[in-house]
Formats: sequence, C-alpha cells, structure tokens
Amino acid sequence: MARYTPENCTDIEDIVRDALQNETPLHITGYGTKTSLGGRVCARDELSLSAHSGITDYQPEELVLVARSGTPLLEIEETLDKNGQMLAFEPLHLNRFYDQPHPGSLGGIIACNLSGSRRISAGAARDYLLGFDAISGRAGYFRSGSKVMKNVTGYDLSKLMCGSFGMLAVMSEITLKVLPRPEFMTSLSVTCARLTDAQSALSAGFGSATEPSGGAIIKSGGGFKAVLRLEGVKISVKDRIASLSALLEKTGTLAVMSAEESLDFWQMMRDISCLQKGAEQVWKLSVTPSYAPQIIAELEAGHEVDYALDWAGGLIWLGGRGAELGEAVRNALARHDGGHATLMRAPEAIHASQPVFQPLDAALGGLQSRIKTAFDPMYILNPQKIELAGAADANAL
Amino acid sequence: MLLPEPEQNILDRRDEIVGALKSLLPKGCVIDDRTTMKAFDSDGLSAYRNLPLVVVLPETTQQVSDVMKWCRDNGVKIVPRGAGTSLSGGALPLSDGVLLGLGKFNQITEIDYENRTVTAQPGVTNLAITTAVQDNGFYYAPDPSSQIACSIGGNIAENSGGVHCLKYGLTTNNVLGIEMVTMDGEVVRIGGKHLDAPGFDILGVMTGSEGLLGVVTEVTVRILRKPATQRAMLVGFDNVQEAGQAVSTVIAAGIIPAGMEMMDNPAINAAEDFVNAGYPREAAALLIVELDGPEVEVDYLLDRVATLMKGAGASSIRISQSEEERNQFWAGRKSAFPAVGRISPDYLCMDGTIPRKALPEMLTRMSAMSQKYGLRVANVFHAGDGNLHPLILFDANAEGELERAEEFGAEILRNCVALGGVLTGEHGVGVEKRDLMGEMFTEDDLKQQQRLKCAFDPDHLLNPGKVFPVLHRCAELGRLHVHHGQLPHPDIPRF
Repeated sequence: MARYTPENCTDIEDIVRDALQNETPLHITGYGTKTSLGGRVCARDELSLSAHSGITDYQPEELVLVARSGTPLLEIEETLDKNGQMLAFEPLHLNRFYDQPHPGSLGGIIACNLSGSRRISAGAARDYLLGFDAISGRAGYFRSGSKVMKNVTGYDLSKLMCGSFGMLAVMSEITLKVLPRPEFMTSLSVTCARLTDAQSALSAGFGSATEPSGGAIIKSGGGFKAVLRLEGVKISVKDRIASLSALLEKTGTLAVMSAEESLDFWQMMRDISCLQKGAEQVWKLSVTPSYAPQIIAELEAGHEVDYALDWAGGLIWLGGRGAELGEAVRNALARHDGGHATLMRAPEAIHASQPVFQPLDAALGGLQSRIKTAFDPMYILNPQKIELAGAADANAL
Repeated sequence: MLLPEPEQNILDRRDEIVGALKSLLPKGCVIDDRTTMKAFDSDGLSAYRNLPLVVVLPETTQQVSDVMKWCRDNGVKIVPRGAGTSLSGGALPLSDGVLLGLGKFNQITEIDYENRTVTAQPGVTNLAITTAVQDNGFYYAPDPSSQIACSIGGNIAENSGGVHCLKYGLTTNNVLGIEMVTMDGEVVRIGGKHLDAPGFDILGVMTGSEGLLGVVTEVTVRILRKPATQRAMLVGFDNVQEAGQAVSTVIAAGIIPAGMEMMDNPAINAAEDFVNAGYPREAAALLIVELDGPEVEVDYLLDRVATLMKGAGASSIRISQSEEERNQFWAGRKSAFPAVGRISPDYLCMDGTIPRKALPEMLTRMSAMSQKYGLRVANVFHAGDGNLHPLILFDANAEGELERAEEFGAEILRNCVALGGVLTGEHGVGVEKRDLMGEMFTEDDLKQQQRLKCAFDPDHLLNPGKVFPVLHRCAELGRLHVHHGQLPHPDIPRF
C-alpha cells in the first residue's frame, strides 16, 4: 500500500513506469472525492494528483485557462469568477452528495465528465476540454489538442479523456475553454398538477426563441414545479422572461423567481440536493427527454422512488431502494428509446451486485476494451473503475 | 505529396474484387468503368486526382457492412466519401482501394421537435437539415460554406465548422448520436436523443476522425430554435492590425457574437466585384459581426460593439436594416472563395488557427511571406475564433507556381503553430497537411493517436495515407518499451 503524490509531470511518468514494470496497478485520484463513483478500483497503490496543483496560464481575453490536473475546482471557479468568467458546463459539486469537504479537483471533474444544468444549452465538460498532456498506461508522455478554440488536427483525444475515469492516461495539464459569465440571471417556475405537463412546459420553453440555459423539474406540494433559467444581459433576460411567461401561461401557475431564489435553486441542482436526504440508492438516468414522465411512471408503479429532472427532462436523478431497482431502471430505459443509467451511490452490497454503468453490447464493448488496450495494455490505470467487456491482451495490439 | 504505393497483388485482382462487390450489392451500385469513375477521382482539393480501384454506392447499412467485412477479409482498402467537398483531400481515392460513396443515403429519417433532434442518413446535405425544419422555426447550427453540397456524414468525419461556430460550436458540439460500421463490418450505435453516451466517448473521437475509424451510416443532431432577430454589422478599418486587435477587444468585453468574420482588401474587392455586397472597397480590412437573440438584446449589443469598434479605430460602420441587407452583407463573405477564383486561375485555401491576440502579428507576417514567394494572398478569417483562411493565388500552368504556393502555405501553417496555434481549424488534415503533422506533434503524440486507430482498424485498411505521415504497423505500436524493449516476465500470461 503506497500513496504517491507527485508534484510534476516527470514524477507522474516515473511512478507510472514503475507501476508498469512491477505490474502493480494504480488507483488514480485527486482528492478522493469521487472514490465512490464508478466501480471499485482493483489496486493497492494510489497516485494522488493533489500535490500537482495550480493554474499555469490564464488568458481571460483568449477565453483559455490552463491548470494542473490536481488544482481544486473551487480555486478555478473563484479565479474565473473574479474575472467575470465561468466554466460554462457548470460542473457538478459532489461534495455534499458524497459527504466530502470540497468538490475535488479539476482533473476529477474532467475525467468523470461531470456537467451540470447548463449541459443542455452550453454542452458538457467534454465540449470545453481544448487540450491536455498526459502519461499513458504505457508510461508514455503525450499531448493532444491545443489552446485555440477551433482545432481539428488529428484525432480529438480530449473527448476520449473526458469520461474515461482515469483509465486511459493520467492527465498532467488541462486546457479549458472558458466563457464570460452572464451579467444577469433569473428563472421562471411553472407549477403543474401532472409531471407530463411540467415536461411539456420544459419542451415548449426549449423549443422557443427564449434560449433557456437550464430546465429542471422538482416535486412541489402535491404537484410539480418546472423551472426554466434565463441568462444574459439584463434587458434581454427581462424581455425573454416576458415572452416565456406568455408562452407558458396556460400550462400552469407561473412565478418569476428572485435572483437569490434562482441561485439557490440551481445550486441545489448542481449539488444533487434535489432529492430527499437518506435515499438508499441514487441513480443518474440519461434519457430521451419526452420519455422521462413515462419512465418515471413505470418505476413508480413498482417501487418507492423519489426523483428530480434536469437537462430539460433528459436527466433523471432517481432515489430509491432495494436490490431489484437497478434492473427495473435498465428495463424501463430499454422500453423507452434507450438511454443509460449510472448507479451514483448505494450501500456496498447493492453496489457490488450489479454494473455501475450501463452495460454495452458486444460490438461496442469490444471497441471499448480495444481502446483501453491502446492506451493502457497492462490495465495499470484505475482497473475496474469502468467495467470493460472481455479480457485484454497486451500483445494483441 | 505521395499516397502509399498501391499493392500490385490488389491491382492484379481487380476483376475478382469487382465481381465480389457486384455479388454483394444491387445492380447499379458498383461503378467500374473508368469514364464514370472519373467523377470520383478527387474531392474539393482538386489539385490532386487519382482513380480508385472501383466505386461502390451501397444503399443500406447492411450493404455497407457486407462490403467492409468482405474488404477486411480480403485485405482490400476502403476510402469513404460523402459529397466529396473536403478541402484537404480526405476523400482522395487510392488506386488499390474501394471508394465507398454514401450518396444514396439521402433520407431524413426522423424529425422530433419535442426533443429538438433530426435523424438523417449520412448523405443528406447539411443545408437540407435546416431546410427540413425551418418552416417550424428551427435550424441546424453548424454552417460550413459548402453547406449546400456537403453531407452531414462528411461533417461528422471532418468536424466541420462554419461562420456561426463561434457561438454555437462545431459539428462535435451539435451531434448527439451515430450509427457506424467498423472495418470488421460490425454495426455500432452510439448515443441517440439522450446525452453523454456511457463508456469512452467514441462519438467524440469519431467526429473529426477523417474517415479513418469507421463509416457513419446514420446521424442524430440537435436542432435549435431560430433566434428572434439576427443583424449584421460591417466595420471597415484603415489597417489590418487594428482590425485584428478589435476582434480581441470585443471578446475581452465579454461579448460572444454569433459570428465575427474578417476580410482583407484583396478579398473585399474580389467579393465586391462578384456580388456587390456593399463593402467599403478602400478599407484595408473589414469585419462582419453578427448578433442574434431578442430584438432588445441585439440592439443593445450592436450599440456596445459599435462603441468598441470606434474605440479600436474603425473607419466605417454599417448595420443591416433589413433581413435582405443582412443576407447581402453575408453574400460577399460566403462567396469569397469563388470570387477569388475569378481573379486568379488557381488558389490554395489554408486553414490554420491562432490565438486571437496573435492576429495582428500573423497579418504582418503574411504580407512579408506574400512578398517573399511573389504570390498574392487574399485573407478571409473566422476571426472570432482565430481561424485563418488565407487564399494563396497562383497559376498552375506557370512553371513552378503550384510548388511555390504549397511552400507558402506550409510556411503559413508553420507560423500558426509557432504562434501557439494549430495546422487546421476546420478543414481537416487529409493528405494536404499530412506531412506537416510533425510541426505540431511529436513522434510519441502521433504514435498514441495511431494506437487509437489500431483499436478500430488494426490492418490500416480504412483510408490509409491520410492524416498520418508515417504508417506504423499496429504490432509495432503495441509493443511495450519497458526494460529496454523487453516485456517484464514475458513467460507469464497477460491479464
């Protein structure tokens, strides 16, 4: 049991090379805030990037920020905020959800591709990763991408790194596209008796020219509250709130939220505090938005569940209990246009009894395993964090 | 520029290969006579032409799968082709390769307004997607200049951009799902109407992979509601450096316009001669800035941008007063390439990207290079995101001019990289910039990219000779170099 905390890229390379030579896999972490997310890593030694920290280049006028992978997310967000900018993908803050002191590192957010409410309008973490350098599981240093906005030179390996859960390479430096923070934000809530009506309100809002930057639904009283967020220059937001209110006046009871209310609401979504406390299990379902009410109705019929929706209905946070809930979730998705489900949090016995991520079909699973092998043939990096189909053979590639 | 040496044994087997493909595909889907194949001998990079071994135009995903599987089993190369508008030679045929055209995949299969998606076959043109939904007030955001002809499948392969990607992103930010066929003939579906498919982001690496990883047979994209108002502003400058600086000033003020384009004097005049867009002929540089959104927002931001532009030294400002006038402003920009085509027998279009702040410096270097090579250059930039399109004017019939133009282009791209930029912002590497990859990437960087290729196509049968200057065998790339080239404990079974 060793714990390494390298402070620079060369040290990362040395640690990975040693691990490769000794065939001792590494658990790649930042601050360990998301250790509970994904499969249980099959490694005794830990490589923590927490000491590999700091913003190395920030050019607000170029909309570019470069930071070491262990830089705390909060440090990045504060620095951007001081300059009137932001991470447009609105990273999730999972510290409350996983009972951790802070939301972890930039590297962790990128590796897990954790995007918040603005995912639906502005894109995911993966859409803002312009470039990186890293040490592969072959102990080889490589770079991909750049510091410019538009780049199609070579394969877009940034996309692959985002959401790879540290299984392909250990990122050293991360280059992000950042955006100006909107000068004004407010939200319109629409309270409806039925979930389908709340979902229709979101669909109508996102299908209008009012450019919502977030669309969520929570249970409220005996009904449902759909909340649509509008951001931008003040004069524009005021105008769009009026248009949106006119559009949705027949779908439910409307209320324009105050700035504070609005801020609190979207922070609640960012922190996944939208579910009742103490749910035994929490699932993240990515679905075709219009099917969300049917999927929920089907699950409610057989299970006691709690839920909130984000991404205009395309994301369902689902709380529930019981060993058979997972299968019910995956079956419900299969009957409603596909999508995928991730077990975000559960007691160990339930966690161990089923796949955390959506199982893939043989063709796709095979490709995934071959991609893993292309970067990490000996399965040195975060083995089992994502369950991969089939066995890999270092000599096959 | 060299393509890989054709394999003689494949050329010798041509009749057998054509026969096998004919048995796999319906009548009329295999083109093997040289006269008809001529239509497929190049793409938008027409300086390079080459006849393929044979052309196939399958009609179904199953047929694509059958062809690819047969080719894999028989060691025959495949070059995929959409509409053939690539500006980097991505669809340039190989003499010993099957050219697989997706032109018959021309149907839009589903429009879903509730979820704001369109699902289409890959041969559908980019513009046809917008056309199909515009009566309901929607559009598809990425708008490459070739949008009337280029296919959505080709857009995936090239990760195409356009003038509005400053605000709305490139293809990769607007595609939700694909069906693709691997070189093994396996049909794989990734994503759909939901977001962020599980596992490694194969959709993300497929986008912009230039036909080297798989053949896309269906595409799902997101569509957006058309903004309530769109207005454009023409801003003239007396010198190009000031115009370049003005671009940074607008972005630094926290304004991201829908589009921010720049043209220099030769481009302005060529466009003006061609379409009478109303551009200021005497200006050294022209910016076209488009803002969209609610009317009050557009008015407010136009005002702010105008103030910033005046502060940056603008010599003239005009704001479109009608939709007709806005379209007229864009007509000049959108026809800049054909317009330049009229003032020069030939031109090469380059496509580097640089940090915005380096625009003034790049423009200074560009005129120095123009003098050095004795060739005129007209500049058309997606200035907002630093994406340059210098058009190098030359005459292919004049002894040595093509070579000189290519050297000029290569020097521009080397300068882009030196200024912190990249070789290509949206046109792709293809064959055109293949041999410059070493300017931007180390050998190790390129080897890691090729290892990804090996995961999809271990025998290098899919579009070889594009993107990578050197083809390494996958077995060689897979070798682990630890303990001086020896695997640790070579006798124990691997995981």
